[in-house]
Amino acid sequence: MKLEIKNLTKKYGRQLALNDLTITFEPGICGILGANGAGKSTMMNLLTDNITRDAGEILWDGTDILELGKTFRGLLGYMPQQQGFYEHMTAQTFLFYMAELKGLSKKQAGQEIDELLEVTNLTDVRHKKLGGYSGGMKQRVLLAQALLGDPKVVILDEPTAGLDPKERIRIRNFISAFSRDRIILLATHIVSDIESVADQIMMMKTGTMVGMGTPAGLVESVSGKVSELSCLPEALADMQTKYRVGNVFQRKGQTWIRVVGDILPEEGILVEDHLSLEDVYLYYLGE
Amino acid sequence: MREFTRIFHNRRLLAVLLLIFLTNGFLFTWEQGKESYGLDLSPPPSVFISVGADGQMPNHGTEITGAACYQAYRTWLSKVRDMPLTEAGICLAQEKERLSGILELADLLETRGGLYGQDKLNEYREKFPELTQQLERGTADLAQLERDDADLAQLEHGDADLAQPERGDADLAQLERGDLDLAQAQLDYAAVNNLLRQITYLEGYDAYLSSIQANKENMLTFSIFNDPNSFSGRNILKTAAEFDVLQGITLKLGADGAVNAFMSFPLTDYLLLAVLALICLAFLEERKKGLWSIVHATPHGRLRLAWQRGATVLGTSVCGVLLLYGSNILLGFFIYGGWEDLGRAVQSVEILGTLPVLCSVGSFLLRYFFLRIGAAFLMGLLMWLLLLAITNVKYTIVILAVFLTVEYVLYTFLPVQSVFNLFKYFNIFTYISLSELYVNYLNINLFGYPLGIRSQSQLALLPLCAAMAAGCLFLHCHKKPFGGKDLLGRAAYGINRVCDCLLKRLRMLGMELHKTLFIQKGIVIGVVFVYAAAGLSYTQNIPVYSAVDLFAKQYIIALEGVADDALLEKMDRLQADLDGTIDAFEEAKKQYARGDLSYPQFDVYAREEMTAQLKIDALAMVRLRAENLRELGKQKGFIPWLLDETPYESVYGEAAQGNQQTAALVSILALSLLLAGCMAYERQSGIACLLVSTPRGRRDVLLRKIGAAALLTTVVWVLPNALELWGLFHTYAPHTLSVPLQNLSMLERFPLRCNIGGFMALLYGLRWLMLFGCALIVLGISQRSRRLETAYAAVVSVTVLPSLLYFYIGIAPMKYLSLARCVTVMELLVPGGGSLGAGLPAILTMVSACGAALWSLKRGWRI
Repeated sequence: MKLEIKNLTKKYGRQLALNDLTITFEPGICGILGANGAGKSTMMNLLTDNITRDAGEILWDGTDILELGKTFRGLLGYMPQQQGFYEHMTAQTFLFYMAELKGLSKKQAGQEIDELLEVTNLTDVRHKKLGGYSGGMKQRVLLAQALLGDPKVVILDEPTAGLDPKERIRIRNFISAFSRDRIILLATHIVSDIESVADQIMMMKTGTMVGMGTPAGLVESVSGKVSELSCLPEALADMQTKYRVGNVFQRKGQTWIRVVGDILPEEGILVEDHLSLEDVYLYYLGE
Repeated sequence: MREFTRIFHNRRLLAVLLLIFLTNGFLFTWEQGKESYGLDLSPPPSVFISVGADGQMPNHGTEITGAACYQAYRTWLSKVRDMPLTEAGICLAQEKERLSGILELADLLETRGGLYGQDKLNEYREKFPELTQQLERGTADLAQLERDDADLAQLEHGDADLAQPERGDADLAQLERGDLDLAQAQLDYAAVNNLLRQITYLEGYDAYLSSIQANKENMLTFSIFNDPNSFSGRNILKTAAEFDVLQGITLKLGADGAVNAFMSFPLTDYLLLAVLALICLAFLEERKKGLWSIVHATPHGRLRLAWQRGATVLGTSVCGVLLLYGSNILLGFFIYGGWEDLGRAVQSVEILGTLPVLCSVGSFLLRYFFLRIGAAFLMGLLMWLLLLAITNVKYTIVILAVFLTVEYVLYTFLPVQSVFNLFKYFNIFTYISLSELYVNYLNINLFGYPLGIRSQSQLALLPLCAAMAAGCLFLHCHKKPFGGKDLLGRAAYGINRVCDCLLKRLRMLGMELHKTLFIQKGIVIGVVFVYAAAGLSYTQNIPVYSAVDLFAKQYIIALEGVADDALLEKMDRLQADLDGTIDAFEEAKKQYARGDLSYPQFDVYAREEMTAQLKIDALAMVRLRAENLRELGKQKGFIPWLLDETPYESVYGEAAQGNQQTAALVSILALSLLLAGCMAYERQSGIACLLVSTPRGRRDVLLRKIGAAALLTTVVWVLPNALELWGLFHTYAPHTLSVPLQNLSMLERFPLRCNIGGFMALLYGLRWLMLFGCALIVLGISQRSRRLETAYAAVVSVTVLPSLLYFYIGIAPMKYLSLARCVTVMELLVPGGGSLGAGLPAILTMVSACGAALWSLKRGWRI
């Protein structure tokens, strides 16, 4: 079971959104990190065949997904970034409708919907119209519909946006448990969401992949590239123009900065422990 | 001011307000024409003139319209305006008698009174010697042209001749060419008649006032109502006291049309309500956008904003009243005149005769405008209060609708005598329909005391406004954005639970219908469509212009069947009977000349002969038709049938084209509005990308959407066509459905060999196909639209606008873009009498458009 992307290219007019991307996804959670405009959503839309590709292939177990068509979409669960809804439908009706579109039997749909509503903590409001839901609740409904029908490939675009920490942990854990024997592609800005659950992390920048590896491997890859130093507040702006400055924090009454990059300030103290994915993000994707 | 600017900065709102204003002006003007400018156009009782549904009075080859009549009314009014009422009354009464005589006499000649009418003519000679001479001079002139002196002598003696149609027509023509303008006489008659009615009212007003005082004396003295402590007793005393101030009032004749029209146009009341509702709903914007908590937390977001909103409601009330009612009264004065009559006592206008207040028409109008503004302000505040009281935006609109419906039902349907009539009059609609307070004098029973509805409503206006304003200010300041009890929300949750149980059983097609009808509110369109379709006319009256035509129709009905030799033999027998009647008359003529028959006996023969002559002509027409059918049948190889074509003509014929076009247009509009959002809604709501990523979200969803469109097409198709068929068959048994189609003269050139039933099946089948084609085009356009508003505008522009421009404005090139023309089908099948070929281009265009729509749907169903 593998999903391969080969030399995938997509242009919007003259703008290159995805540039000759090649990657293979295998079962497990693959976190996709990238700034806005990096090409994450374009890749997701190409994987769901929501937009046409300009070049390249997307293969599911060796067969192009366009050839597979309905069969591939039957294996797919998709949670888009935009919260599109029928505002006048209740969560239950919406999920039953989506189950119908996924070809689930009424009985199977009923069972799965009950289970997913429970997991997403929506059971008590299942008969409330979606228009009256908060952003976080809508996010959970979208997640629930993506997981309907036991999909083998789950594409989640910002699944925890708008959720409070408790809900995020709950959802994160559920996704983690759900990932067995499935390919889950999880695009997010929130590094901590994938830090603990992702098996692989893909770093994207301007339509190309700039890094790929396990979280530990990626963290390891920035070893020796992070340092901390004290800095006068008036010199902060100057430092930010010279280096990739991460966190700015107070320690013992002084202002400290954390710098990431191949070139580090000489006066800085190299950080060997406690490296994080934020450092990785800054290293690969920072300006 | 800033709040006022914010609200009116919304272009959509401004466009709707402008539309309301223009609609009001247009409908007000149209209503005046429709109501014949408030005039009674009926002819003298003895004249057989019919007044058409359009207010026109066809007669003597001329038609008089309300507008022309009102012009005559104004001319006559200017003649008698400055006369004392009694003198004006006498003058007008004489004129009415004279005009009535002219019209009766003209009618007598036109209806070919003949022998029967001669006596009547003599009566007129005695009654109106001058006029009769004038008319007979005209007849004599004709005689010089067409007859000899002997004929004139005969006419003078009244022996005959007027019975003959040719002579009758000539007389009428002469009459019209002569000294008298009959059309003007009709106009003058109607004008004088209406003025006389006005004068009768004005002259009788003193008597009316006296009768109120006399009633008080009589009833308190003698009647069972003489208990001064009962409601009836108190009511009589109150009425008499109120009307006592009018004693000795001087009423004056004038142009009442503007005031009458102004006071009798209730649509403006509802349009003003709509304007106020739109403004109050604009206050909800912050709640809809989730800004309520932010606004509530700002220093000026409470009391100051509330004051600004109160001022906005007041400003809207003032502007709304001035624009809507102001335009009405100005249009009224423009149409009817009457500026110069504003100084008259208000009771001079009959509609305001029961207003017990001493004032002039002008001061009444001024006062009315102020009260209107107050009433509008009150309505606005009440709506705002309701919207403030309910936290949930969705329910506020529902509650407002329910509140207005309940109030309307109570106001409209509760009887005046009901013990609950308090609910009828202490009702927001009392202030909405403010005119009613001034055109009806009414005291209601409040614990045994008569309560004047008008005075109490006026008095209550200011305190009510103050109370409402205070309530609004209080609620606006103290209502918290969060944390209130949501009882309505709980009830709605319960209802949703039940609905969910039903909805989860639906398959994809059911869900598509649910989305169209309930989520996109198509059900409202459906209800309006049913109402509109039920109100349309599907059959057109086919007039019978002469007695001969009428007899021919009767013969055809009697002889209906195969046009074979047996039928011709039957006709021969009928002809022989009629010839016998003619012979009998000839014999009777001789006997009358010999003195063997009295005049009444002879008159019977004469009448029978006259009828027989007409029947002979009619029978000749029927025979000709039968022979033509036999010939055509031989040529084209169908069995010739003689049948009454009127029912088919009344539904499918040229006369019914207007009906068919309107029905098609209404159907297309309904279908367009139902389906315009079908695809666009998926895009606007952002759900399309999710749908197309599911296994059944592409082809299957598209097919179900097309299926739902087909079902809705069928529903929209069924109603008008079923009503059309009902119109055809409820008076006419469907026994001729098996008759070969070419026996109908309007379809004799139809190229396909089939019977009438087969043709009807083809017609209705094609209508469904064409309507379904429209549905596909609508879906195709909807597919190309990303927003609902764009979809609705684009769909209506393509499907409805060309037909409107072609049918109602007459822009000929739009014919080729008119979908309604395709949906009526008849015009395509039988353009100008029968050629399938001429309809083919339109059919092909439609098929191409459908193909393009399907292609667009298939290609475009992606984000």
